Amino acid sequence: MKGARMATAEGLDRAVVDLASRALKAGAADCVLMPVEVPAGDSFAYVLVRDAGLLERARALPPVMPVQGARALASFTGTMAGKKTLAVLRPCEARAAVELAKLEQVKLDSVTVVTCDCPGAVPLAAYLADGGELPAWTGEPTARPICRTCDHFTGGGDLHAATLGQAEGSALLVPLREKGSALLEALGLVADADALAWEQEAAKLTATRREARSKAHEELAAEVAGLSGLAQFFGNCIGCHNCRSVCPVCYCRQCYIDGDSWEAPAAEYLGRAQNAGSLRLLPDTVLFHIGRLAHMSLSCVSCGTCEDACPADIRVAQLFGMVAARTQRLFDYEPGSDAECAVPLATFKEDELHEVEA
Amino acid sequence: MDKQIGVFVCECGPNIAGNVEIDMLLEAAASMKGVALAERHKLLCSPDGQKFLAEKIAEHGLTRVVVAACSPKQHGPTFMGVCERAGLNPYLMQMANIREQCAWIIEDKEEATRKALRHLRAATARVAHHAPLEKLEIECNPDVLIIGGGVAGMQAALLLASGDREVYIIERSDSLGGAAVQFEKVFLAMRSAAEMIAERAARIKANPHIHVLTGCEPQEVVGFFGNFIITVGRPEAEPQQIRAGAVVVATGFELLAPEALAPYGYGEVEDVLTSLEFERMNASGKIVLKNGQAPKSVAILHCIGREERRYCSAVCCLYSMKLARYLKDKVPGAAVTEFYSDLCIPGRWQQGFYRQTAEAGVEFVRASGARAIEEGGRPAVKYVEEAGKENSRTFDMVILSPAMVAPHDAGQVAQMLGVEIGQSGFYAEEHPKLAPVSTSLEGVYVAGCAQGPKGISESAVQAGAAAGKILSSLVPGRKLETEAKTSVISALLCQGCQTCLKVCVYSAIRYDEAKDVCVVNEVLCKGCGNCAAACPSGAARVKHFTPRQIGREVAEILR
Amino acid sequence: MAKVLKVEGGVEEGLRKLLFDLLDSGQVKGVLALRRLDEKGAAAYSLAADPATVKDILPFHPLMPAQGGRVLSRLTGTEGFAEPVAALVRPCELRAFVELVKRTQGSLENLLVISCTCPGVYPLSASLDGGLGPKLETYWAAAAENEVPDGLRPACTACTEFVPYGADMTVSLIGGRDTEVVLNTSKAVEAVGKLSGEIAESNGDVKAIEAMRAERGANRKKLFEEDSAVHGGLDGLVKLFGRCIGCRGCREVCPICYCDLCEFVSRRSDLTPEGLQADLSGRGALRLPPGTLTYHLGRLAHMAVSCVACGQCTDVCPADIPVSTVFSRAGASVQGMFEYLPGRDVDEPLPLTTFRTEELAEVED
Repeated sequence: MKGARMATAEGLDRAVVDLASRALKAGAADCVLMPVEVPAGDSFAYVLVRDAGLLERARALPPVMPVQGARALASFTGTMAGKKTLAVLRPCEARAAVELAKLEQVKLDSVTVVTCDCPGAVPLAAYLADGGELPAWTGEPTARPICRTCDHFTGGGDLHAATLGQAEGSALLVPLREKGSALLEALGLVADADALAWEQEAAKLTATRREARSKAHEELAAEVAGLSGLAQFFGNCIGCHNCRSVCPVCYCRQCYIDGDSWEAPAAEYLGRAQNAGSLRLLPDTVLFHIGRLAHMSLSCVSCGTCEDACPADIRVAQLFGMVAARTQRLFDYEPGSDAECAVPLATFKEDELHEVEA
Repeated sequence: MDKQIGVFVCECGPNIAGNVEIDMLLEAAASMKGVALAERHKLLCSPDGQKFLAEKIAEHGLTRVVVAACSPKQHGPTFMGVCERAGLNPYLMQMANIREQCAWIIEDKEEATRKALRHLRAATARVAHHAPLEKLEIECNPDVLIIGGGVAGMQAALLLASGDREVYIIERSDSLGGAAVQFEKVFLAMRSAAEMIAERAARIKANPHIHVLTGCEPQEVVGFFGNFIITVGRPEAEPQQIRAGAVVVATGFELLAPEALAPYGYGEVEDVLTSLEFERMNASGKIVLKNGQAPKSVAILHCIGREERRYCSAVCCLYSMKLARYLKDKVPGAAVTEFYSDLCIPGRWQQGFYRQTAEAGVEFVRASGARAIEEGGRPAVKYVEEAGKENSRTFDMVILSPAMVAPHDAGQVAQMLGVEIGQSGFYAEEHPKLAPVSTSLEGVYVAGCAQGPKGISESAVQAGAAAGKILSSLVPGRKLETEAKTSVISALLCQGCQTCLKVCVYSAIRYDEAKDVCVVNEVLCKGCGNCAAACPSGAARVKHFTPRQIGREVAEILR
Repeated sequence: MAKVLKVEGGVEEGLRKLLFDLLDSGQVKGVLALRRLDEKGAAAYSLAADPATVKDILPFHPLMPAQGGRVLSRLTGTEGFAEPVAALVRPCELRAFVELVKRTQGSLENLLVISCTCPGVYPLSASLDGGLGPKLETYWAAAAENEVPDGLRPACTACTEFVPYGADMTVSLIGGRDTEVVLNTSKAVEAVGKLSGEIAESNGDVKAIEAMRAERGANRKKLFEEDSAVHGGLDGLVKLFGRCIGCRGCREVCPICYCDLCEFVSRRSDLTPEGLQADLSGRGALRLPPGTLTYHLGRLAHMAVSCVACGQCTDVCPADIPVSTVFSRAGASVQGMFEYLPGRDVDEPLPLTTFRTEELAEVED
């Protein structure tokens, strides 16, 4: 693989902003979607920008991920009418975008995605309280737990800005898909530098992370074994459904559990209370999570936005990531890696899943 | 306004009354929410019972009815009819099965009564949430389009063409007759194939209601049962649109592809032919080897492809014997040997055909793994004897009897029509036993080898069955009633992800690009519920099986 | 003078006994109250039907994991209770429920409402990791001394409506050293009459209530003055809600927000091609997902008239935005215009659906 050298003397953010500005000037993009510092300076938000001047406070990799980039994409790509967008996303956001494209929620045809090697994000609550910097690959500041076991921290976009294995002050723009090559060409950049150093470094780190992920999953699996284990895990859950609202894959306008199917007369709740001695309210805490797992785990990219949004400090992303790893393994499915590979949910194969037959 | 629910408990003679405490049910029912009256009757399905029910509905102005009796499969339509005639929408009635599911299977009367009570409570809770439903009536086009002019297609056409419906046959090749045009004779009577085809073709030509388009193929199919529009591509002409109420797929078969026959020596060894190639050679009048000489020994190998295809191709044994007879007829001096693994010859006369063939001097060798190889520059058949020993014998000519497979473009045609292809590659019938000529798409039928390997007689029978189905369901002047319990998708909740569309086997859902929502075609929808189950948000739900209706029912069962 | 039931053993033990007796005697078929989840002080609402489960009830535990009004609405929104059920709810929860009843989202039928003079609750975060356990002693001590405990929800420290309206029974938690259950209605007197316990007459500690109201009133004034949203105009709002992540948690937990599908979540609020073009050409940029502020202001317009200042919204916000301060301040302003106090009286009509020809002259030109 080869890439085009990109100088990052003033930092990666500056370099990517420059790239985006040049893309706008060259007409390779009509607008740019990138995280921008909010007016109060205390957080970041995705902004779709037409004028390069407004990218002054933009960041390629903010220290936090308040909104999942794929969700931002889903909110407007249906209205783009062919206009070209350059979107700067984290790898997990790019993968979620691919999943959403399969589910007809994002139109990627005129979107070119640029990703960067991502060391993770810091917990949102901590950042809002104390500020902070992008996590380090090793050591302080530490990334969110879900980021520390992430094995998809590189690639994912059409064009990838690789910093791993590169010298200080330099990054490598590696075209991963045709649109990436087209972007390089439009910018007059040539992919003539060898990308082996990045590939090797990335492979090494991926292996380490994969091990850490397996171990974390094993431990967590033991902790939540059985319904009582799950109930314990979600003991503090207040049923706010923040996790669902912020999840990029949860595209439903109204969650199934919020529909009127679940409305019941008071007598029925009392009946349930009588059956079990007492009934926790609001009801069906664990059912909500199991239902959400059943519906979205095949496309879960372990981005961790859910855990950031939880007011009760529940390790939602870690649990969902663990279950997702299992369901995805069952179908040999890797979300976000191949736009042509349909989500197993709506695909029928007569000859499969023998391992779960009686 | 409180719902006026009438609860009726049927004694069913001694069937229910003998093992369920009916008075207990009535007492409990009377105190259930919304119940205006609870009555018993000896036999509700009888004329007297039905009259009783109708009178009660009118007398008390009942708005909902619960009938606790036998299985709804038995008398559901009966009581729905009573309600309808009494002016109550038939879907405002719910049955509780307290016979097959309670009285008949539980010995202990108390226990049976307890279970019956659960059923009754569940039905009463459910019916309160029923909504009146209407079936749609649609006009239908009684004409029929048949894809494929072979045996099945011709037979269907002849049966369907009558004074009040037109039949269109579109045939890809230049003539009618299908694969049979390649045969000299047809078993078992060894009559002329050409005569058989000519006779039928003549009748078709003479019939003003049958229109044959040769050299044509279907390009697009839109519509639904009673109202299909098929665009037919014609050579050297603009595509033609044909309107029909039903479509019969009679596209026949192909033989196993040459690549699949290579392991058996085809294309690798000289003078190895397929059965159809031999038919053509036989029809041309001269059975000769590549070197121009007549063969002195011929081997015919059965079951070519049975392992790979995993099905028996039904007719190979018989036509192999037919080929042997051709040889005995035309090349009397040739020794003919048939290598078979099993003889599949069911039927009244087939055994006799085999015996006669053997008596004519054809050798039958039971073997496995038979295939043609080259031995000393000549073909030979290598095989494993019944006893297990490997053997090989040289022959001048080897004829392979390959399995029938679906036409190479069956998948495309299926997709065009919106029907399924089964695991074996042939068109999937709706149900192998109960609905062997219809497909999952109402109005599209399948007949002949398109549905699976079979002989000419069976193809004709199946064509007759398809024609019969069409004649009885697509009646000129009669309107078609659609399913009332169809799915409906909330435009407010639908996110246009099209998961429902992907799992709909009836092609009943379309995506509205402008509104970015999916919409159900009520005429095509069969209310199977796949969409409702697949929809993550609950935007799709099936009428009469809404989460609330099922929820209330289940809540009472579990209480 | 009001009838009161003197309860022995303090708030927890004494009230539990009352609840046990009510349930065990069959006077009520269920008890809605907070129930212990673990030893660290976590709790959740629970409908107890078996008297044996009463031992796990934590009456008026200083936590609000769900708004009691919302819970009651979920229970009775389709159909009210057919049998008597006791519900322990705080004054703001009861008021919220009454607002919902006015909108046919709940029913007071067969409910024996037991509320309290409320010292306030802790934020949800205080109950995690370490828990409320250590804080409880200080809490109850402060309440008994008629002091505002430290570390409560800002909404609670600033709450002046801590005396319930329309409850059948009011448990005096503020001031005083004895636990008194004031029997406000004949239903309450009847229910208690069949149980053991001393019924006396009492005037209540009016002075303590007034003192508490004054202190909290001062807190409220300060809180509202410090509300940056008030002083900043649109810019101020943009800055304050800048870190909103669009989780809509504030709406989800709000008792007054009863809509099945929120207008601002529905397709009607989606971006259109025209809208996108307008924003891009007009301003050169557009924050995505769109409508952050529109959502908040829209929700405010819809629910402010019934906002009971419970503080659930601030509690649930993952971005630490003081939603409750902004909303309750606007709410107070709107309510003042109509001289309306949400939940004060179930028969008091909603300003939203009441038309009077003579009113709002002050906003006319």
